[in-house]
Amino acid sequence: MKAQRINGIERGEPITITVNGKEIQAYAGESIAAALLAAGQRNIHQSVKGGAPRGYFCGMGMCFDCVATVDGNPNVRTCVTQVHPGCIVETSS
Amino acid sequence: MTPQKPDTTEIAIVGAGPAGVAAAVIAARAGAAVTLLDENTNAGGQYYKQPTLTESGHKYPNSLASNIQQGQELLAGLNHPGIDLQCDTLVWNVSPEELVLYLCGPAGARALQAKRIIFSAGAYERVMPFPGWTLPGVIMAGGAQLMLKAQGLLPGRRFLLAGTGPLLQLAAVQLLEAGADIAAIVELQPRAEFLRTASKLWGHWDKLGQGIANQKKLLQAKVPIKYGHTIARALGENEVSGAVIMKVDGDGRPIPGSETTLEVDSICLNYGFIPATELPGIAGCAQYFDYNFGAYATKTNENLETSVAGIFAAGETCGIGGADVALLEGQLAGAVAARQLGLDPDTDEATLCQKQLQARTVAASLGKMFPVKPGLCALATDGVPVCRCEEISAGEVRAAIRMGVVQLNQLKPWTRVGMGRCQGRICGEILRQIVAHETGLALQEIQPFTARAPVKPVLLEEVGGAVADTGELTWEDHVGGYGVART
Repeated sequence: MKAQRINGIERGEPITITVNGKEIQAYAGESIAAALLAAGQRNIHQSVKGGAPRGYFCGMGMCFDCVATVDGNPNVRTCVTQVHPGCIVETSS
Repeated sequence: MTPQKPDTTEIAIVGAGPAGVAAAVIAARAGAAVTLLDENTNAGGQYYKQPTLTESGHKYPNSLASNIQQGQELLAGLNHPGIDLQCDTLVWNVSPEELVLYLCGPAGARALQAKRIIFSAGAYERVMPFPGWTLPGVIMAGGAQLMLKAQGLLPGRRFLLAGTGPLLQLAAVQLLEAGADIAAIVELQPRAEFLRTASKLWGHWDKLGQGIANQKKLLQAKVPIKYGHTIARALGENEVSGAVIMKVDGDGRPIPGSETTLEVDSICLNYGFIPATELPGIAGCAQYFDYNFGAYATKTNENLETSVAGIFAAGETCGIGGADVALLEGQLAGAVAARQLGLDPDTDEATLCQKQLQARTVAASLGKMFPVKPGLCALATDGVPVCRCEEISAGEVRAAIRMGVVQLNQLKPWTRVGMGRCQGRICGEILRQIVAHETGLALQEIQPFTARAPVKPVLLEEVGGAVADTGELTWEDHVGGYGVART
């Protein structure tokens, strides 16, 4: 399921980020989670023990369910981290 | 770590939401040197979260635009030479004796010593578990609002909103105006409770007016509001593809045979809010049990001073009250702190105090009307994870409870609940509900988890200073996925 960028809301510069080796379109100022959801990737993190799919949940950086590896740094909360040009995201799920 | 001389300030404020910003503005105008700290990239908190997409001209739907506008007006006050706003800065520990805060931010790890500290760390959303609640597509209602207002993104197409309280209806209206399809709102309380709420708000026309306006919009859009119902199950393999809702009895227990299946791709949850009390907790500030909201909160006197000298608390961390209360308490705490430093703020603290108490009374009656009901614990069947981080099931928790492990600080080493990345912020209140339900103990008899530093995961290499490099393994290798996060 692809999330929808709301029509008519002005956005920043288009930016390309790489997610699991594939390029996706994002906009300056967006969170990585927003870019992932807009690209149809809701399944962001695989739980450590059970391997269960997890995604955007609290949206405010408290639940750590939407963590991914960003530019080589593990456990980055995608909901509170903005995209930047050349951003490389690797999700475990 | 080589001891470093801490930076200094007069008033350090932790949390730049409505309370923190109001406190900073009042204190700085009185002439105080204020350092306002926030973990987020921008000030505003969750309530006044500002869009980060462009500098201006967002053209948001009505229900969001007014909130963003109000936030902008409040935040304009931060343009004051006396306010040093430090964002992306996590306060991860506090030393109450010296009034020193330990920070982790863009400039690395630092210590900040203040003459007065104000904790205005806000609140978290309360949720309850059910089968499927960890599936992508199940999100907190406030999390959905944040996607709308900060990101201009509709996080799904067809929504179910479930839980209790006025936020569900507001969030539904905001989602509708952004173009969503709302399958239903599932409200735990019976319809009669809503009418009782209305009568309690008699005279508070703005609150009543907001509620009525929301209901009108939902009626026009033909959104069904199912009172006395609960979400019972999220359907789907890798993401939400549907939801099962059920009727509940007076205790909130789902009534067998009342299942209805809805086709939705997103489920938004909210059962009210929980005060964020970690830092006041570490500082040793006394807490009280807020019967209106069923949670422990930071105790203050009428001047918002906590039990620890030099430390104040304002807004949600003192008990759920909403943005109106937070704004008033921020002003009051900022003014009293400034006056204690020999300054003369342009406020009348007695009037502020009175207004704040009135606003608290309204908030309390709202809280009382939308309790989490114990019967909801029946939805956390034995296979349902309660602690999302450590993936500890309700069954494992119940087995421990049967062994007599009934306090959260005992359940933690026994089962590992609360030992993951979120540090019990989500499962803590759920566990208190389950223990109460299983044992018959009153909620206030079940103590919350003891807050410990670091309050959020931090990198050891940042906060620990120079760590010896053994050449073989880095600290990151050692601690792996557990307890470190670059933020």
